[in-house]
Amino acid sequence: MKVAEALKILQAAPRNAPEFRIGLACGYTPLHVETFLGAHLQQRLGERRVTIATGLYGDLAGTLEAWKEANLDGIAASLEWADLDPRLGFRGAGAWGPAATADVLDGSAAMLERIARAVEAVRPEIPIAICLPTLPLPPLFHTAGWQAAEARLELDRALADFAARLARRGNGALVEPARLAQESAPAGRYDFKADLLTGLPYATAHAAAVASALARLLTPPAPKKALITDLDDTLWRGIAGEIGPENVAWDLASHAQTHGLYQKLLASLAEEGALIGAATKNDPETVRKVFAREDLLLRPDRVFPIDAHWGAKSASVERILRTWNISADSAVFVDDSPIELAEVAAAHPGIECLLFPSADYAAAYDLLRRLRDLFGKPHLSPEDALRAPSIRQGAQFQQEAGVSVSEKFLAGVEAVVTFDFSLADDLRAFELVNKTNQFNLNGIRYTEADWKKRLLRPGAFLATVSYRDKFGPLGKIAVMEGRRENETLFLDTWVMSCRAFSRRIEHQCLHAAFARSGAREVFLHFQPTAKNGPLRNFLSSIAGEKPAGPFALSRGRFEEKRPKLYHRVTEASTSSSPWIPSHSV
Amino acid sequence: MDPIALRLTNCFKTVFPGMPEADIPEARQPSVAAWDSVNAIMLVNVIEEEFGIEMDFDRLAELDSFRRIHDYLSQEMRLS
Repeated sequence: MKVAEALKILQAAPRNAPEFRIGLACGYTPLHVETFLGAHLQQRLGERRVTIATGLYGDLAGTLEAWKEANLDGIAASLEWADLDPRLGFRGAGAWGPAATADVLDGSAAMLERIARAVEAVRPEIPIAICLPTLPLPPLFHTAGWQAAEARLELDRALADFAARLARRGNGALVEPARLAQESAPAGRYDFKADLLTGLPYATAHAAAVASALARLLTPPAPKKALITDLDDTLWRGIAGEIGPENVAWDLASHAQTHGLYQKLLASLAEEGALIGAATKNDPETVRKVFAREDLLLRPDRVFPIDAHWGAKSASVERILRTWNISADSAVFVDDSPIELAEVAAAHPGIECLLFPSADYAAAYDLLRRLRDLFGKPHLSPEDALRAPSIRQGAQFQQEAGVSVSEKFLAGVEAVVTFDFSLADDLRAFELVNKTNQFNLNGIRYTEADWKKRLLRPGAFLATVSYRDKFGPLGKIAVMEGRRENETLFLDTWVMSCRAFSRRIEHQCLHAAFARSGAREVFLHFQPTAKNGPLRNFLSSIAGEKPAGPFALSRGRFEEKRPKLYHRVTEASTSSSPWIPSHSV
Repeated sequence: MDPIALRLTNCFKTVFPGMPEADIPEARQPSVAAWDSVNAIMLVNVIEEEFGIEMDFDRLAELDSFRRIHDYLSQEMRLS
């Protein structure tokens, strides 16, 4: 991004849009980083108006301390060595040399402690993105430039401890230095003249790279949910039907390590909650035999479903997406054949199609990195590990339930719905709100700071809903959020995972909302979206007509329309709920 | 308007979006409130991007009007 482009993006921001306030804490003149950060955030948050507050020159710690109670949607902190001790920069007058070294180290350690405390004192709902020093140190230590000075290594260690401490904090995220080095080569980062003349140490391109990295941490892209992989010459090297299941390979000795690495990455993604399926033109028995091999690095229970037949790959993708009940734009398809990729892309325009480059090592390395980026998550939750098993569970549920779920079936699944009405900081609830499409009251997405602020509103209401039955747990699958005012419960957010459909959990949610709040009516802030047809259908079944916008639903009307519910209902965290329950659920 | 003036006008429009286009050729730092030290640096960067040159920070103080910058750019372009 260039300066002129950044300025134009900022000038085009919608004047009357709700503000998105970011604090930029840095010790240098913020000018370019401020402009680029604003522009990157504005690009990501098109319907908001990004504004950036900055602190005092040369006082990064003081700036962060001043923001501990600030009304901000996020903080970007860009540290440089001079923030730890002015002698670690070029603009200070303090002495360099052996006599100063111990004092520089002590002062830096003390400053890092002060900055860490300032970060930890910031309100937990405010996300903080941190970029560690990116510029070269001045020549203040006794070693030649090609030898790492012991004092420099001490500084690095102190900085690493500081970074690890802040990374453990729930709302803190740090720029990955190695990735930044790829986007902004270290040799071209420092502008000595501009630093001395204007206090702008960053070359313009480096300012753009740092700002982009900070913006990505403050507004991370939604991770993909699922990956569909081809098998022959993709998950393994060789065509199993031709050379035999025992002869396909994925190991170093067979020069097939790229396939082994791909398997390891898929296993890792599955462990993190991504759904992995396979679409292959193959004989199912051949595939079964390969998956029965004990040396496979991707365990067979991590791959579901496996669609093996001789028809079009797009049809396999269609079936797999339907089993998972997710949209194509949440998924990635990997195949070694450009023709297969093109066929799938044409049938499923939203899906991200990636070529597995069997013979190109550099491209294979890029693919592994690309997949990590597409599926990367700032934090993992226990729910992530439940997702794949619950999809299988859902398939089993549907298989046994048949096309239309019978009363007898529902009565026999031993379903337990658990409500948590506490306003606890629940990352899974926030994630669910931001990634659910089909059963979503209005499609509104929130930043983490916005979401946390909503829970601080007077009368705030939050229900996080978990489900399990005899087939296994689905984990946290629904979230309702709003506020109670007099006799009305205003429901502003309501999402439910598509994995939980056909179990009448949505009815139980509304039933619980009425019971718990004691409200006479629930006002649903419904808005139709391109994808929330399933929720609209549900609402029309209880309201009597398809809603076109927000509407009120009386308790009497709902109870009259709701079917019989067979769940056992339990409640979690009643002690921490700010609500005095008017009725038990 | 010569090509350099045209491109320079666009640079001014980018950095000073509120300035009427007709006023740009006569713009002088003392008479443009928004032309502070911060925007002076911003203007230099935008001009550098537009013309693919590196401007000398030491001469920032004397490049205080559209005309002077235009003359500076004309000279630089001739030299290159």
